[in-house]
Amino acid sequence: MKILEIKNFSLKNKKNNIFLLNNISLTLNKGETLGIVGESGSGKTLMGLSVTGLLDPSVFEVVSGEIIYNSKNLLTCPDEYLRKIRTKKISMIFQEPMLSLNPVQTIKGQLHEVIKLHVTKIQKDIDYLSKEIIVKTGLDDVDKILSSYPHMLSGGQRQRVMIAIALVCKPDILIADEPTTALDVTLQLQILDLLNNFKIENSMSMILVSHDLDLIKNYSDHIVILNNGSIVEEGLTRDVFEKPKNEYTKKLISSKPDRIITRISGDKKILETKNLSCKFPLNNPFFIKNKKYFTALSNINIHVNVAETIGIVGESGSGKTTLAMAIMQLLNYDGNIIFDNKDLSVLSNKDIRKHRDNFQIVFQDPFSSLSPRLNILEILSEGLVAFNKNIKHDELLGICTSLLSEVGLSNDMLSRYPHQFSGGQRQRIAIARALSMKPKLIIFDEPTSALDVIVQKNILELIVSLQEKYSLSYCFISHDLKVIKSISHRIYVIKDSEIVETNSTENILNHPTSDYTRSLIKSSFLS
Amino acid sequence: MKVINKYNSYWVKFLKNKRNKYSLFIFGFVFILSLFAEILSNDKPIIMSIDSKLYFPIIITYSDKHFDGYFDTEADYKDNFMTQKLAMKNNWAIFPLNPHSHDSINLNKSTPNPAPPSQYNYLGTDDRGRDVLARLLYGFRLSVLFAFTLTAIGILIGLFFGALQGYYAGKTDLYLQRFIEIWGSMPELYLLIIFSSLFEPSIFLLIILLSLFGWMGLSDYVRAEFLKGRNMEYVIAARTLGLSDTKIILKHILPNSMVSVITFLPFRISGAILILTSLDFLGLGVPPDTPSLGELLAQGKENIEAWWLSISTFLVLTGTLLSLIFIGEGIRESLDSRS
Repeated sequence: MKILEIKNFSLKNKKNNIFLLNNISLTLNKGETLGIVGESGSGKTLMGLSVTGLLDPSVFEVVSGEIIYNSKNLLTCPDEYLRKIRTKKISMIFQEPMLSLNPVQTIKGQLHEVIKLHVTKIQKDIDYLSKEIIVKTGLDDVDKILSSYPHMLSGGQRQRVMIAIALVCKPDILIADEPTTALDVTLQLQILDLLNNFKIENSMSMILVSHDLDLIKNYSDHIVILNNGSIVEEGLTRDVFEKPKNEYTKKLISSKPDRIITRISGDKKILETKNLSCKFPLNNPFFIKNKKYFTALSNINIHVNVAETIGIVGESGSGKTTLAMAIMQLLNYDGNIIFDNKDLSVLSNKDIRKHRDNFQIVFQDPFSSLSPRLNILEILSEGLVAFNKNIKHDELLGICTSLLSEVGLSNDMLSRYPHQFSGGQRQRIAIARALSMKPKLIIFDEPTSALDVIVQKNILELIVSLQEKYSLSYCFISHDLKVIKSISHRIYVIKDSEIVETNSTENILNHPTSDYTRSLIKSSFLS
Repeated sequence: MKVINKYNSYWVKFLKNKRNKYSLFIFGFVFILSLFAEILSNDKPIIMSIDSKLYFPIIITYSDKHFDGYFDTEADYKDNFMTQKLAMKNNWAIFPLNPHSHDSINLNKSTPNPAPPSQYNYLGTDDRGRDVLARLLYGFRLSVLFAFTLTAIGILIGLFFGALQGYYAGKTDLYLQRFIEIWGSMPELYLLIIFSSLFEPSIFLLIILLSLFGWMGLSDYVRAEFLKGRNMEYVIAARTLGLSDTKIILKHILPNSMVSVITFLPFRISGAILILTSLDFLGLGVPPDTPSLGELLAQGKENIEAWWLSISTFLVLTGTLLSLIFIGEGIRESLDSRS
């Protein structure tokens, strides 16, 4: 039974007349989950917002089409009607749970507000309903949660609260816009299972918007693939995944990172950490001597061989980035870091600077890792100039041109500024910058997490081809086991500032010894 | 070549906005005019010829005796003695457009002071018979130069402390911040009053006193920008490339925190002009003979019926402040690399 139907819906930006959604037609049946997949900028989120009528009319203009719910066209409905059905009939969950909850109101206040507006005004019923829904979302200690403010809850708890608010009126349709993207992988499955159970229990329909193909594959019945605001393919999830018809769909499905690694040439150690620990003072009392510390790393022993990639996988807050910073000598640590037979931990800051050309880092966010006021030539030549003050301009130009071609960019981009590039291109520039120093080791701190899947695959291939060419050693940090698996020879699993398991990639994936690794593998759909 | 292109594009962007263009041209024009105030408005001739000999009274000081007078003091070219001499055959003199200096008094005038605008004094005179136009021109120049100096010093000190605090953070930040809190809680106005009674008031003293306190607002902004900037990934990347602290500060963090400094700039300049004006208005600023907008305003208040005093000063002051703020906004918009 049809519950929502979108017919020939087109949407454009009023300011530059660019079509954001093109002739979208789709239907949602009762009790069914419709998955919408696409890269960033493909119009996924706009679809969700259009259905609930939350688009800013000063920016967007509906060109044609209708969105029919309950035999009414939502696009032409008066605001009062839309307000009535929002949350009560059509409900929405957003990506970022910290931003979608009001920080100055308790959870109780925000939940009660919704119930009072749409369900009942009797205080006793409100209390009962709010407690019931919180229990249903799998949160214990209901009273404590209800009286908390958003900042007192963890990311997963917050997302559950959001779900509780969205579902308390038992809506017909739930639009979940990347509901788990901001959460750790092990939490993702729990949240999606929760949504799925709720859907079955109340025979609710769900629109699941995501860029994550595995997630959509496992949780949706029908699937729609969006590219540049147009539907390129739709159908039963199984059919689309097994026999994709469209070129773009094929590319998207095959962009799942394959295992692409190089042969290891030897077992000479390039980097070794011995009992590496790192702690930060929690409160810094001025007069009191015994300070409290937060341990970010405790007794980390890892090593990297020449031309080898090690993968470091863990959730946010597990100490992955701290480890990278410690290896890069950017923060104080205890223990030893031995690089190329030299103990870096005993060197002064000035002496370390002389060795910096040997180890480089590529960061996660390509938008903040390039200085916005320098052009590409200046960005690339900076390190070269720091190590060789007498270098000539022509020579610099030559080196930077060859660096750009190394990472697959053309040399006419040298005079451009970072904001003129896409995320993938910026990440290539960041890699070129790291290469400019001719390092022996490069640390990649989530280099592909901010990128779309297709771009992600290209970057991974670039990284591997560079390793082949220059026998580089890599330390690859990610929360995404799929990426780690595709590129690393050995894996370290890190949890709560400790290494919980280490082994070769095959052994870890096939015979995990710790429970945590097992849950990681399961939630990455690798088992 | 790249660098020139970069600044060139900022310049083009700045001029695209008509408001920016006119503000800059009007302000620049008046400011440059005022730099030549001695030539434009003076009671001495620019050039004169007496007995076939050329004299340049604006550049060289001639005593009365040069012209067969009795005194060793500088010649008064408006005095009857000199006017008669200049009126003689073959003698001539070219006077500036406005033949009054900021402190010259027209003694031959018949109207009481302050006198309304007339053909002798285009904007009238103040209550001591000095030409208002001349005083406005000289006063404007003094105010703007004073403001530029004060702002420049304030920015240098503010940038230095702000960068130090923000970049090194930790203990450095803690101690300097406490120092700034103590320093900032000193009563500035009372100190000014006390100092102006202790010492001979002068522009130099004012600049030192105001500079001691003027940098604190800016250093807070710079500190915040640096605290944010020091953890940006491109700054960490620069550190991993082996750049020194000074270089990172100058090349990476400073340019990216300049927007706040530059946004602040016009407000600081206009603020400095206002401070000088209000101190002069209260009589705590520059020494009494110095031409100043504040003193003119005070005279306007004393002689409320002499509208030419208050209105002309008000227009000059508002025009200056407005154009400065428009220029500042234009600079900020054109420096924003994202737009």
